[in-house]
Amino acid sequence: MSPARDEVITMLASYGDRTPEQVREKLDSLELAWLIHQVEQRYNAVLDLDDDQIVEMSTVDGAVSVLSKVLPQ
Amino acid sequence: MSLWHSKFRYTAGDASNRNGGNFVSTWVDRTLFVGPDDETCLHVGAPISRAELRREVEQRQAVLEGLGVSSGGTVALRLPPSLAYVANLLAAWRLGAQVSLLDHRLTQYEVDQALARLEPQVVVSAEGTLPGGLRAFYVVTDVAARRDSGRPSETEHAVIQLSSGSTGPSKVIGRTASNLIEEIARYTKIDGVPQPGERVVLMASVVHVLGLVGGLLYCLHAGTELAIPERLTVDSILKLVASSDKRTTMLGVPFHIELLASVENPPELPQLARMTTGGELVRSEVWQRFTSRYGVPLGNMYGMTEVGVIATDLFGENRPSLMPAPGLNVAEDEGEIVIEMAHSPYLGLSDPSRWADGFLRTKDAGTVSASTGLLTIHGRLDSQVSVGGLKVDLTEVEHTLAALPGVENAVVVYDNGIEAYAVVPDPTDAAALETLLAQRLAAYKRPRAIHVVEQLPRTATGKLVRAQSVLKTAK
Repeated sequence: MSPARDEVITMLASYGDRTPEQVREKLDSLELAWLIHQVEQRYNAVLDLDDDQIVEMSTVDGAVSVLSKVLPQ
Repeated sequence: MSLWHSKFRYTAGDASNRNGGNFVSTWVDRTLFVGPDDETCLHVGAPISRAELRREVEQRQAVLEGLGVSSGGTVALRLPPSLAYVANLLAAWRLGAQVSLLDHRLTQYEVDQALARLEPQVVVSAEGTLPGGLRAFYVVTDVAARRDSGRPSETEHAVIQLSSGSTGPSKVIGRTASNLIEEIARYTKIDGVPQPGERVVLMASVVHVLGLVGGLLYCLHAGTELAIPERLTVDSILKLVASSDKRTTMLGVPFHIELLASVENPPELPQLARMTTGGELVRSEVWQRFTSRYGVPLGNMYGMTEVGVIATDLFGENRPSLMPAPGLNVAEDEGEIVIEMAHSPYLGLSDPSRWADGFLRTKDAGTVSASTGLLTIHGRLDSQVSVGGLKVDLTEVEHTLAALPGVENAVVVYDNGIEAYAVVPDPTDAAALETLLAQRLAAYKRPRAIHVVEQLPRTATGKLVRAQSVLKTAK
């Protein structure tokens, strides 16, 4: 199962010791690289994302949506 | 015959200048193609030997020659970091052409503006849409096209770069081959640089000065393998480091330290010798986290597009100061760091506040210690403004604001008064900014307004944009 929104936020919050409330909807490239790192470790998978997917992942909702498509169900 | 041509090619009769009757040895061959043919010099997805790289270069050289590029010609590369980029760059240089480097992340509008300004005879671009994000190198098909309006070079510069535009209008910066060779030579004399037979894992772009000269050109010259991770993710970077027994230096920018320092339990990497970064100093907590988690020194370098590497602290022992690179005359002139340089690096620009009387003015405020020779940068000099006759360094205001609790990023600019833009996700933290800042800064130094925004605009290379017109649109 791909991560739900709250799990994505938890993973993002682990960058910089933030609380989930401190995670913004909009993700910068550092947060995105961090999120991919977390997901790849947790799912033992390599995410080969194309440009469109990377652009879509610039928000938390977008990241949840892309991850649901690229991770094995 | 142009000056450039006569200056850097062997004269007829040199025993090493012929190969098959038409091969002329150039500074590229003498400086960059040093070492055995079968040795791996590059690693971009797969190892590439010097002989393979030479073949790639010769292929591009034939294409460029077919389009009429010769000594004194002009070529613009609009390529992402790739084998094609390296091959075209070296090919154009071997032909004696001047090469303009355009970051592949520039918009079409920005590229059109640059081409109109530079008027290269040939533009080499990547075919189709680039794959994948967060990539550090790309596999691309390069296409070279001749431009009818292109003009031959008017200067002897081998490489032309546009300033990144985070401060002031973009400038056209040129460097000669001898200037690049001098920088490579400077690197070889710095204690702690990667040695022949070792490896550099490069995270910085080979299109910009740190990755171009400190990474690509230095490694080719020194016989150090240059390996570029497939993607700029932790896994990709660390797996690449682990994939070789060669003693390895990671070379990147502060972003990469932040990312790597975030890994709680990095794998054992006995081959890792150090990480070196260019750009601003990372926060001391990040520096401490990185050095304790990886158990290697975190080195810092100071440089600029106009000069290349200026000063280094590769062992992290002089932090935040740096030792000027050997052979470079770095001095302090009324609080500004200046560098001895015979000719202005700027094309079509005569600005004594940037270059005058054989000295490049860095616009970096700094000091050079008379006793130790160490250089300390205090911030941008052109960020200093006058408020009611009192001098205020906007960098100081910015750093103070950025250090407040909850502030993730801040830019402070001057527009008839000091204006601050800050990313502060928590409204409680945001509400406290004025009060806290009042405790840390004299009244005349405080921003007239603090605009809390969700994200700060950045240039294609990731630098914070300081143009007020752009900042005003930040949300």
